[in-house]
Amino acid sequence: MKKFIAIFLSALLLFSLAACGEDSGTTTFPNVTEGTTEENTTNAQNENLNAEDIPDNMTSPDGKYEIAFVTDVGSLKDESFNEGTWNGIKLFAAENKLTYKYYQPAGKNQATDEDRYEAMKTAATSGAKVVVCAGFLQKEALLKAAEEFKDVKFIFIDGTVIYEDGDENTSPLENVAAVDFHEEESGYLAGYAAVMNGYTKLGFTGGGGGTNPPCSRFGYGYVQGINDAAKEKNITADVNFSWEYGASFSQSAELQTMLSGWYANGTEVIFCCGGAMCLSAFAAASANDGAVIGVDVDQSKKSDTVVTSALKGISQSAIFILDKVYSDEWDEVSGKLTTLGAEEDAVGLPTENWKLENFSVSDYKKLYEKLKEGEIEVDRDYETGLNDENFENVKLNII
Amino acid sequence: MSFLIQQTIIYTIPLLIVALAGIFAERSGVINLALEGTMIFGAFIGVLFINISQANGWFQKENAQLLLILTMAVSAFFGALFSLLLSFAAVNMKANQTISGTALNMLSPALTLFFISVITNQNVLSMYEGDAASWFMLKRSDFGFEATESLNFFESTFLIRNYLTTYICIAIYIILSVILYRTKFGLRLRSCGENPHASDSLGINVKKMRYIGTTISGALAGMGGFVFSLTTANASATGDVAGFGFLALAVMIFGNWNPISVAGAAFLFGLFKCIAAAYATIDINGDGVFTLAQLGISTNLYRMLPYVITLVVLAFTSKHSRAPKAEGIPYDKSKR
Repeated sequence: MKKFIAIFLSALLLFSLAACGEDSGTTTFPNVTEGTTEENTTNAQNENLNAEDIPDNMTSPDGKYEIAFVTDVGSLKDESFNEGTWNGIKLFAAENKLTYKYYQPAGKNQATDEDRYEAMKTAATSGAKVVVCAGFLQKEALLKAAEEFKDVKFIFIDGTVIYEDGDENTSPLENVAAVDFHEEESGYLAGYAAVMNGYTKLGFTGGGGGTNPPCSRFGYGYVQGINDAAKEKNITADVNFSWEYGASFSQSAELQTMLSGWYANGTEVIFCCGGAMCLSAFAAASANDGAVIGVDVDQSKKSDTVVTSALKGISQSAIFILDKVYSDEWDEVSGKLTTLGAEEDAVGLPTENWKLENFSVSDYKKLYEKLKEGEIEVDRDYETGLNDENFENVKLNII
Repeated sequence: MSFLIQQTIIYTIPLLIVALAGIFAERSGVINLALEGTMIFGAFIGVLFINISQANGWFQKENAQLLLILTMAVSAFFGALFSLLLSFAAVNMKANQTISGTALNMLSPALTLFFISVITNQNVLSMYEGDAASWFMLKRSDFGFEATESLNFFESTFLIRNYLTTYICIAIYIILSVILYRTKFGLRLRSCGENPHASDSLGINVKKMRYIGTTISGALAGMGGFVFSLTTANASATGDVAGFGFLALAVMIFGNWNPISVAGAAFLFGLFKCIAAAYATIDINGDGVFTLAQLGISTNLYRMLPYVITLVVLAFTSKHSRAPKAEGIPYDKSKR
């Protein structure tokens, strides 16, 4: 029996250690489990073609593949981040008759920097001219690969500028273009629309424990949107704001209990920003007749509780940069970070299956125009911005 | 208050039923360390069954409760099937039970994740349509209450917003506990976990009894896994049950292999888990004041609570803890 207890305890220890490791390792991008690539954004290129109809695997006559795609963690068909990027690549490649191929690092969910580097290396040696790398986690691998293969262009989606030797004082690598998004604008639209629709008690639950930049920007923009709308309606909105139980972007009983508690105490809508965390939010909302705001892609197909989703145009971003590559405008994006937002139609809310009753699509379009023309400015600096005193019409309750 | 009770039930029920699974195996003399793995497998099978049924239109939303009961049976069946691997290793091959259990714990998440990615091309399998709560949760209309009718405490706590699984699991728990402690069969099963040689000398087939014990254990754990994914993960399978299988083992030891104490232990653990997650919105006496949140204690302390309480209680009670004597020892006729 003693032996059994000892083994049991060590198993428990092992488990908790594994759990810790996962927490710190997953500063990944939210992998939302449902949704298709956005169809609402106006990109002339994908009007006639449907990404679903383009095969994932193609055979190049000379065995070389010009455009390569490397995933970070998760599978190619995650119906979200990777798939969105991949659809963009396929559309662009089909449009321009280019060869393309995807590379999934070995180890899949547990892929290491080494695995990702190997995938990039394979891509580069298989004749890739452009390697698209999706996800913040690729940074270390990308640094190594980009320094080694100077002739290959790398596109770092949801990334940052890559400097020589990883030292920010040196010059940035000219063969890397980084793209990220104005998530705060998307969050702003969602928050504004929710309050205008009549919600006064709102919630936000995010992944990454407050250290994941995209999630943080979504959250900060959301609160700003709520504040502006509440000011307009001359009311005070209550917002529960939490990073609890989201560190690993996964669903959990604890998260569901916490959110159920919010709903049971009057919260009407919760913006859930963090991959599979949405499963907990859907369950809590469905049990308490609450509503959920989805993230990244239109999640309304996944659950009836989703009233709207804060989108970001992942596939558009891939097309945007690839277009620069092939129209000899690479200099415009090389070695720096391009941030896509409302101006490029890369963020927004899905206008199909509109569910908000008191805030119509035309209201939304008016708001979007204002955002586009810079009439509304959304602050991006979440580190200093999320402070109770900054919001006159929001009672921010950080949990 | 009814919120607190309902959420506690969500944590308690899987722990309860899986701890009972542990009792059955250990009382028959086999350490079932594979509870976690069996739960994962059961959860996967249950969700897969719901998914397939919905996709093929076998069940409509009106018959959701029927589907629920059937799914419980299916996941129990496959849980039992899965545990046969353990029985075979532990009873027939006389392998070390701790190691074979650990092997199954490693096998199960890998196997389920493999199947999930084959089926869905991603790493989560969920329902084909709808949400778990909108399909399976008991609602006002199921009891004929009007939408505006005010309900008394009992009705609003134990009838609406619960899952049928809760009551089925409690019923199973009581029935099986009675069988284990108040019937001839139960006595024979327990004797195999205490002194199998004596049982054998009295004509009890020890191998058969241990097979039965482990199989019941597997069935309960499989069912518990499904209940867990239904009530806490929106009926989705991810190859993970958040360590509830191991927690259930702890609850079983904590409850001294005795159903009544185990039920208490599961409830205590569930209660503190619930307080830890929802302390900020718990209104104990219904006056609109969130007492626990206003104490100003750090969240981390609340999150530690379930584990600290378990440690403390174990420290005081483990002296009297008495495991079945022959558990973990493969039965060998020639040894005496």
